[in-house]
Amino acid sequence: MDLDLLSDSLVIGLTEHAPLVLAAIGFALLYRLTGLINVAYSETVTLGAYFGMWTNTTFGLNFYAVLIPAGIMAGLVSVATYFAVFRPAKRLNVGVLEMIIISFGLSIFLRHGLQFIFGYPVRFFDVPPPDTIRVLGVGVGSFRLVALASVAVLSLVIFWVIQRSSLGLQIRALASDEDLAQASGIRPLFVTVLIWFIAGVAGGLAGAFYGVGSSVAPLLGWRQFLFILLVVLVGGAKGLGGVIVTGIITGVALAAMSLQFGQVLYAQLALILGFMVLLKVRSRRIAETGKV
Amino acid sequence: MNLDWLDAFLISGLFHVVVVVGLGLLLHLQLGLARIANFGVVGFWGVGMYTFGVLFVKVDWPFGDVWAFLISLVAATIVAGLAGLLVGWLIADLDEDGVLVGTLGFATAVFILATTEQDLTGGALGLGGLKFPYNVGSVKANEFLWLIIVTLVVFAIFLYAWRVHRSPYGRLLIAVGANEPLARSLGKPAFRTKLWLFGVGSAGMGLLGALFGVMERFLATSNLGIDVTLAAMVALIFGGTARVWGAVLGGVLTIGFFDIVVQSYLPLPREWYSQAIPVLRELIFGLAIMIVLLFRPLGILGDMRRDKLMRSVHSD
Repeated sequence: MDLDLLSDSLVIGLTEHAPLVLAAIGFALLYRLTGLINVAYSETVTLGAYFGMWTNTTFGLNFYAVLIPAGIMAGLVSVATYFAVFRPAKRLNVGVLEMIIISFGLSIFLRHGLQFIFGYPVRFFDVPPPDTIRVLGVGVGSFRLVALASVAVLSLVIFWVIQRSSLGLQIRALASDEDLAQASGIRPLFVTVLIWFIAGVAGGLAGAFYGVGSSVAPLLGWRQFLFILLVVLVGGAKGLGGVIVTGIITGVALAAMSLQFGQVLYAQLALILGFMVLLKVRSRRIAETGKV
Repeated sequence: MNLDWLDAFLISGLFHVVVVVGLGLLLHLQLGLARIANFGVVGFWGVGMYTFGVLFVKVDWPFGDVWAFLISLVAATIVAGLAGLLVGWLIADLDEDGVLVGTLGFATAVFILATTEQDLTGGALGLGGLKFPYNVGSVKANEFLWLIIVTLVVFAIFLYAWRVHRSPYGRLLIAVGANEPLARSLGKPAFRTKLWLFGVGSAGMGLLGALFGVMERFLATSNLGIDVTLAAMVALIFGGTARVWGAVLGGVLTIGFFDIVVQSYLPLPREWYSQAIPVLRELIFGLAIMIVLLFRPLGILGDMRRDKLMRSVHSD
């Protein structure tokens, strides 16, 4: 392969698609630790962009300062959806299939509800154009480097919290056996709320990075949702580390194929097909083991 | 024919209801009986719509419009059915998460292809040149006749769903949906059943997409949004996922309420109709899905008839 293409796609893939990794981490936390496919996670991403844009344009905060309130507000929304919808649903013993459709309904509800608050037209961040820094001969906007850095920091922190800290031990215990965890003195509500909050922060930050890179629109998160889902389902079998690695590979592959085909949509199409084949092959293997 | 009594908005409102009821009936077989959540309804619908449009408009047929129309329509149905077989094969051994990815991914792939293959589909600019295979006078008369024809097609779909409910195939779908490993262990061909289910269901969705495109006369990628899937889903879930009449009742109460009653008969300020009402419509649909599934999971009509019957027999 052409060396230039390789370095270009590495730099572009890592920086431009860093928010994808961030969003996938948040989604994977919910998926792995609560077993929930939350379609409305796409609106956590969208709302992160809206909250960032709103604090930026209303209070004149610069983009870096905006990230903190945007992340916190998205985290709070995420927790609110847990209390308003997912906790009652769990108490009512809603099945897996119904849970996915409920989260789809919530996603539609939030996507259209936010338009009554933030208005119908597409909105934009009011920020000066980012400084361009040359990395391996490719010009990269400073916002994208911040995105990459926060992905690195956040994934390390989450990884450390879950794998090493006592809180992480509680989270993992809760995920593997709720009754046993409760019997050993873990407060499930606190830990669950924490998971939803961290997932929301990750999604919201991803949304803010997506939004500052282009525009802030109701479909922002939904456009990314399929890719987030693909990354988590394909990489999730190997834990959070697998999600991060798959996310990075996906970003680089998207960048490389976009450069090669000259058309982002073809890159997305190839990626969707590739991932589907992968899922099919894996499910076949699982089906085979079921026959033994 | 004098159609002065008939409002043009009423025709389009009724047409929306009828088409969504058709989609809801097909989704009912998948979601209500086999318990497979097809999030890619709009993908199959789009395959049918664009296959028909491209064949009818771009191909230089050696015979008259009516035959070209019918051949394109049949081809669109077959292509959508084949797409259904492909997606069915893909998701047949996957769990709920895999089905979500597979069907959603398919719908996205259709959207991408409709956008990128501009030479064929017109891409974002759209594809014009579709027309009714007849001309009975005014635009309104033509549209009214088309509404009647599509209603007959949807009625045929209704009869098919009705028959499935009362056939061994329907019981097989219910068995696979309720407990697939058990159905398999009893020697039931779960894989082939799902394949057939998706093949036929998608062919029907593709046919409805093509019929819808004819009424629009203009194909644009904006017809391929998630709102189509949402409309079919909310109609079915609201009315009752487990009953044949569910999609009919739900379609009338949800789509009918917004696209006929709110559209034409409520005294609302005119400026609301451009943005507020369409957004509110989707918002309420999302809310309806949540509330129904949380508090009355089987919708207005509730349990399957045979379940009610079983209970009444066994409670004696």
